[in-house]
Amino acid sequence: MDLEKLRETAAEVVARDDVKYLIGWKKGTFGYRVMPGFVEDAESAAELIFSPLCTANLATYLTLVEKPPLPRGQEPDKRKVAIMVKGCDSRAVTQLLMEKGIERENVVIIGCHCPGMVDPALLAEKYPEAEEPAEIKWSDDGFVLVRNGEETNLSRDEVLAEKCKLCRYPNPVVSDITLGEPVEPWEPAEDTGVAEVEGKDVDNRWEYWQEQFANCLRCYSCRNVCPLCYCEDCILDRLNPTWVYRSVNFSENTAFNLARAFHLAARCIECGECERVCPANIPLGKLNRKLAREVREKYGYEPGTDPEAEPFQAGYKPDDPEDFIM
Amino acid sequence: MSAMLLNKEKWPDFIGKLAGKELWAPQVDSNGLRFAPVAEGEVPSLDFSNTRVPPKEVVFPQTETLFRFKSGSEELKQPQPGKERVLLGVRPCDARSMKIIDKLFNWDEEDPYYLKRREQVTLVGLACTEPGLNCFCTSVNGGPASTEGLDLLMVDLGESYFLEQVTKKGGSLLEELKELLEEAGNDSQEQKESIAGEAANKIKRSIDTEGIPAGLPGLWEDPLWQRVSASCLGCGTCTYLCPTCHCFDIQDETEGQEARRCRMWDSCMFREYTLHASGHNPRSTRRERTRNRINHKYNYYVDKFDVIACVGCGRCINLCPVNIDIVDVLGQVKEALR
Repeated sequence: MDLEKLRETAAEVVARDDVKYLIGWKKGTFGYRVMPGFVEDAESAAELIFSPLCTANLATYLTLVEKPPLPRGQEPDKRKVAIMVKGCDSRAVTQLLMEKGIERENVVIIGCHCPGMVDPALLAEKYPEAEEPAEIKWSDDGFVLVRNGEETNLSRDEVLAEKCKLCRYPNPVVSDITLGEPVEPWEPAEDTGVAEVEGKDVDNRWEYWQEQFANCLRCYSCRNVCPLCYCEDCILDRLNPTWVYRSVNFSENTAFNLARAFHLAARCIECGECERVCPANIPLGKLNRKLAREVREKYGYEPGTDPEAEPFQAGYKPDDPEDFIM
Repeated sequence: MSAMLLNKEKWPDFIGKLAGKELWAPQVDSNGLRFAPVAEGEVPSLDFSNTRVPPKEVVFPQTETLFRFKSGSEELKQPQPGKERVLLGVRPCDARSMKIIDKLFNWDEEDPYYLKRREQVTLVGLACTEPGLNCFCTSVNGGPASTEGLDLLMVDLGESYFLEQVTKKGGSLLEELKELLEEAGNDSQEQKESIAGEAANKIKRSIDTEGIPAGLPGLWEDPLWQRVSASCLGCGTCTYLCPTCHCFDIQDETEGQEARRCRMWDSCMFREYTLHASGHNPRSTRRERTRNRINHKYNYYVDKFDVIACVGCGRCINLCPVNIDIVDVLGQVKEALR
């Protein structure tokens, strides 16, 4: 993508009277990190980037906005928020629109055609992170890592993020402005992660998740980063009644993780953010992708692909399949 | 006995000698590296950078039961007291952190739960020779071979470990192990000094903290807090993985007719932290919560206990999902003070 074009477009968008700010990606402070950037003027628009390191889904910031009580007489700022989205991120925005979590007229969607992102953790295993923020570019058959003026070619398979290997929507499904050239969708890889867990017998599967959930720290980074976990009053924060105890043990951790997975069934758009941010390395993507696949295969339904469609749970057809229901 | 040498070939014997105690060391579980009890007959490896969760969890567990009670009874049952523990391979930053939070748990009220565990633990440190990318201990009065908070410090000299006694507790441990050890000569002492110096030179990140504690109150309404908190997700990663964060909550949890009173880590980055019963929250946005996190570490704690409540371990930098980097934030604080 032409970065000049991106920065120019962003500067134009934030110069509009009806736009509050733009959320995009900025260079990080070290290694393979990229940070969300909140752009309010042309000067900060010049810091925006779009590179294979922009794995993060920024859509969560659309609903993470805090609304502290305003001083008497002050009107809320009702201007639009502009947001940069990749294909997967645009599905989150679409799902939010479908659920009326956000209103279409309140957002300016800047869609970026996405050739696929690298997995920064995978990359760091092979090429340890350095003090200076690294630059990564797309090449014809993969990526180029630029460090200290030295270029290293990386094959696509070597460092492509898992979510991108499985991706079916590299182009934004909704946008007001699009940047870059449309990408030819690739054949999604087989979901070996889910298959591996499915291959275990019931006892081993239970043991597997027991081991994973036992490590959960309940930091709620998965919940907070998730663009579709946006209840104003979350069941986890409730104290009266306390639906999920604060005690960090296998039982409560399981209740939390499974409750979240079920709340996301037929809503998760598989952006993989939960798994990326988990400090305990819990493979949450496997859980959410399994549920997404069930819904896709049983009902032919894919969340976040059509802003006009009905949310899955709101729809009912007399001939909905039920042969797998006991 | 002040400084001794342990030939690495005798490492398994060293562990064997400690078998009577509850030995904890960094171990790889399915999700990373964490302090865990060493199984009998196992010899832990000391080849690691640092654990994901700091060893503060051994003395201040994420969840602990204070007592149990039953409906219809006034009896309060306290859990069995814990055992003496030896923690092996504690990094100097993590040992310093315990020394720092000791001040809090010894403050207006003595915290018997924490202090008991603290008394029962012997910290055997391991000096860093290859500091991590985001380590900055030398900026906050620490160092890769700092002994503060430790009972015994081990330094890897290549073929042997240099063992330096720090406290009496460390000394008595050395005494128990003495048949495996030999006196460290001046040359080993010099080698140790040079290794520690080299490690300190390898630390790439730094922040000059001069003026920060005194300057922070004046930056209360500075736009920097809005800027650095805009991307904050409000999760507990930075605080839960911080070796000096010590906030906790106390709750009663029921199981049928029985209940337990427990305390668990809390995080000032959570939206319900400081939420009043009335619904009012004095820190209602992430801007205020982020400002509090930095002020608590670099201002309030210094004011109260005369020490910065940050040991420069770099965990919050490494694990923040959105790259909020405390060295960068402190840089912005310095900038605002200029």
